[in-house]
Order: sequence, then C-alpha cells, then structure tokens
Amino acid sequence: MAYEVSIFLENKIGHFERITNVLKETKINIRSMAINDTVNGWGILNLLVDDPDKAYEALSEKGISVALRKVIALEMKDEAGGLDDLLLQVAQADVNFNNALGRTIQETQTAILVLNVDDYEESIAKLNAKGIKILEDQKVYGNQ
Amino acid sequence: MRKEFWQEDFEVLGKNDLKKLQVERLNATIEHAARSPYYKTLFQQKNIHKGDIKDIAQIRDLPFTTKQDLRENFPYGFLTLPKKEIIRLHSSSGTTGNPTVIFHNRHDLNSWANLMARSLFCAGIRDTDVFQNICGYGLFTGGLGFQYGIETLGALSIPAGAGNSLRQIKLMQDYGTTAAHAIPSYLGRLYEVFQSAGLDPKKDTKLKTLVIGAEPHTDEQRKRIEEMFGVRAFNSFGLSEMNGPGVAFECEYQNGLHIWEDAYVVEIVNPDTLEPVPDGEYGELVMTTLDRQSMPLIRYRTRDITRIIPGKCECGRTHRRIDRITGRSDDMFIIKGCNVFPMQIEGVLMKIPEVGSDYLITLVTLNGTDEMVVEVEVKKEWFKGDIRRLDNLTKMITAQIRDEVLAKPIVKLVEPGYIPKSEGKAVRVVDNRVNGVTKENISCS
Ligand SMILES: [Zn+2]
Repeated sequence: MAYEVSIFLENKIGHFERITNVLKETKINIRSMAINDTVNGWGILNLLVDDPDKAYEALSEKGISVALRKVIALEMKDEAGGLDDLLLQVAQADVNFNNALGRTIQETQTAILVLNVDDYEESIAKLNAKGIKILEDQKVYGNQ
Repeated sequence: MRKEFWQEDFEVLGKNDLKKLQVERLNATIEHAARSPYYKTLFQQKNIHKGDIKDIAQIRDLPFTTKQDLRENFPYGFLTLPKKEIIRLHSSSGTTGNPTVIFHNRHDLNSWANLMARSLFCAGIRDTDVFQNICGYGLFTGGLGFQYGIETLGALSIPAGAGNSLRQIKLMQDYGTTAAHAIPSYLGRLYEVFQSAGLDPKKDTKLKTLVIGAEPHTDEQRKRIEEMFGVRAFNSFGLSEMNGPGVAFECEYQNGLHIWEDAYVVEIVNPDTLEPVPDGEYGELVMTTLDRQSMPLIRYRTRDITRIIPGKCECGRTHRRIDRITGRSDDMFIIKGCNVFPMQIEGVLMKIPEVGSDYLITLVTLNGTDEMVVEVEVKKEWFKGDIRRLDNLTKMITAQIRDEVLAKPIVKLVEPGYIPKSEGKAVRVVDNRVNGVTKENISCS
C-alpha cells in the first residue's frame, strides 16, 4: 500500500521552508503536494514523495509533527476530461475521500490521482468490485 | 497505641480552644511587634495596643504588611530584639532593590523546626525514615528549614543539596533513602537521569515518600511524579516571610494542606478589595505570625492565591486546609470580566493527553474586544494527519478552558518546540491589549 506524508504546519513565515529544507538535506524528491488551510492559523501539508519512510524519519527526528497516511492511487488518461471520467467511476463505486493529490507522468501520457479515504480496506474492495485498477507503490512514488 | 500526631495537644484542638489560643498569641505578637521601629510608629499612628484583641475576627482592624514595607525598612526596621539575641537570617535573592530578610532568635528557630517536624510527621514520615533533602542550602529556606525539621523529627537526614543527579541517585542507593524533598520540576529531570542510567526508581530505590513544594504545580503533575517514582508525593507550602517550609502540609488524605493555625492567623482576601472572601472561594492568602519573637509580621500579604477547603479532614486535625497555590495575585489577569490565573489553564491542559504542558497566553484587542489567545502544542506522537481530529481538539480545549475560567479563549494549536520551554517561573502571559489591564464591569461571558 502507498503512503502520503502529512505534516502539521502553522501559517507562519519560514515554517514551510523548514520542512522543505529537511527534505532537501535528506534528498527526498517531492512528486506532488497540497496544503489544507484552516481558519485557526494552521493547516495540513500533504506530500507525495519518492521515499515516504525516509521522509517520515527525517522530519520526525527534527521534532516535526508528521504522520504517514495510507492512500489509494488510481491511474487516468492525461487528457481533457480524464479526471472527470475517473471521478465518475469513483463516485459510482461509492467511495468518499478526504483529500486528493494529483500528478502527471509524461512518458506514458497518464496521470495519477491519489486519494485519502476514511475506510481504506472497504474503499479498496469497492474499487476492485468496479474493476478500477489500483496502482503499485513504486509507480505512485515515481520510482519506475 | 500508635502515635497519630506529632503534637496532639495542638493538632486536634477544638475550634474554640484554637481561637482562644490565637487571641492570646496575637496579643503577645502585638506586644513583641511594638518593639520594632516599623510597628512602633504604625501602632502609635493607628492607636493599636496589646490586649486590644478580644476576638480573633478583630484582626481585620489591624493594618496589612506588604513586601514593599519589608523592603523599605530593610534591614532592621522590623527587628524587635537587639542583634545580640538574633542567631540566623534568611534572605531572598533580590536582584533588584532590597532583598527580603527575616531574622530568627533561638525561640524562633526551635518553633520553626517543630512546625517542620510536625509537617513531616503529618505526611507519614517517621524517625525510621532516611530523608534526602534535595534542595539548595544557604540563604534559601528549603535547605536548613527541612534539615532542622528532619533532625527534630529524628529521621536520618542526608543534606544532599541541589543538583548533580547522578550523585543524588548514588546517595539514594548507598543509604537506602526512603523519603526525599525536591521541587517538582527537578524530579522530572531526575527521573530522566534514572532512565538514561538504565535504572527504575520503583525497583532500584527504597523511596516511598516525596515531599514537593517551592513552586506552583498541579495535581496532575503530582500524579505523574507519583507514577514515575512509585511513591506518594505530598505537597509542602511555605514562604520565607513566614519562616520557610512547614507553614502548611498535606496529610495522608492528600486533600489540601493543613495550615498550622496555632502558629499563624490565616485570612483569604479579595486582592482588589482586600475584603475577606468566604471559605471555598479563591483569594490572596494573608498571614500573621503567632509564635515569632524577633520579627513578627502582621497581616502579611503573601500574594499567593489559594482558598480554604471547607469541611473537616478525615485525619482528625482541626487546623483548616488550604488548596494548592494556583498562582500569584500578581499573575492574575482580568479578561471579559473574569479573574483568571494561568495555573487554572495549565490544569486544564495537563489533563488533555494530546497536548503538551507548555502553553502561552496572549491577551490582545481584536476589533475593540479583548481576547485571550491560548497557544498550545500538539504532541508529535498524537498527530495523525487528520484535520477534523485537530479541529475537534481545538473545540474541546476551548470548551474546557471556558468551563474552568468562564471566559471563552481563542485556542491555537502550534507546532511542538515553538513555545519557549518553561525553566522555573516562565513567562506564560503576554499582555498586548490596547488599554493594558482592563477591568470593565461586564459579566463573565
Ligand atoms: Zn488531614
């Protein structure tokens, strides 16, 4: 199963850079990112990286609040309407998600949609039942 | 029969007998005090004489004494005896202005040592104990105050002094220490040293009792200490102006501290109006010495905030109990018409496992309204990346603080390590309000 790296982040100058600096020092490649902002002065930074375990360890060691969260990665065509087609399938499978990341893979003209869901096992089963293909970890992390 | 009290004659004295004793001793105190330059002048101005007091409630007719009075009359203005009679002084480490100095003759030191022994006995410590006093000696009263008390009680004393954790652990192991006294924040550090030495105080020492005091702490901190060391920890209260330790102490029931009313008259007053508050309500502790000859103090404003715990204690002692100190009257701030002590907020946060005990209160004016912003750290290990969980945590903390202090705070979660770590008396409150401390007469919202 694949993981995203979730980080507690305050909306303060320099805090984001502190995170990216740790990743730079550890030679972690960020494939995709999204920030969920809240009104309370903090948010959650979700990252898709080439080595989630290594990123988790490095950030954790620096005292940063970090968690690994299971995600489901799906493939779609990198063309107009590709995302809509995929989301329709996901909705038909009755899978609800909390947040999403996306990235394209130029070589194969495809794109990846990464979803964080409440019930991981149940969502997988529903997607499988609809014949929606779930990507392998290393492909999600962009390592092959 | 097993001895239950150190001094049964005094500790279980009936209410009326205790009051009678207080009246007798207060008149004697006024007589002593009138020999000091400060009180001599004051008593003449206010027409106060020995024998004036017929009922202990009349103490309210006497003037207050403040720390400022002590400083302004430094060093000998409160002294009632020739220096030849004085055998010791203790002094605060005032870095600015005059220090606060208290003098003792032999009677005073004996009286203090006896109160200290009574306090230790009250917490279950006996002459069979080995007592390690992990506390600075010298001008600070925690060292010698405990030392004389342990010796008067007859336990084996180890005057270990402060710091050097490895040596403290070695002393405990070499001599089979069963009881110790230390400040609560130090015990956390000592435990870490035990751990890094591969030792467990529960298995590798004979400790069964800890006495903690000298800095404000919550009941949750006490429970953590009890769990870490596998002991019972008893709260000790004292202040150098009232001798030092041994003023009030917890008994085996650990429900408030018996304050020795044969030695002190105890009042709780509203720090703003100086009027007495009813038992059970928080206010500033005001104390009068009843058994100190060299330097009696009358209605001394301690600036410590506490309350009388109503009702009788199961141990049978008739001396009333004060609650643990919730802060200094100087620390109190007023927000949305509510009196708030930082320790109340700390108490709430310590009960919530997801957050650390480090916090910062900032008082700000937002759109013309004063607000209390409470920043708390989310513990690293509790972070699971879930935004709703953190939102719920924010709401829960907001509600709990509001229930405790009656004013609704703005709670902000911050990353671990961004709030300065507390070293003893850390700054917990920053007041950035436009009008400084506002005392508007609006009701608690
Ligand atoms: Zn009791």
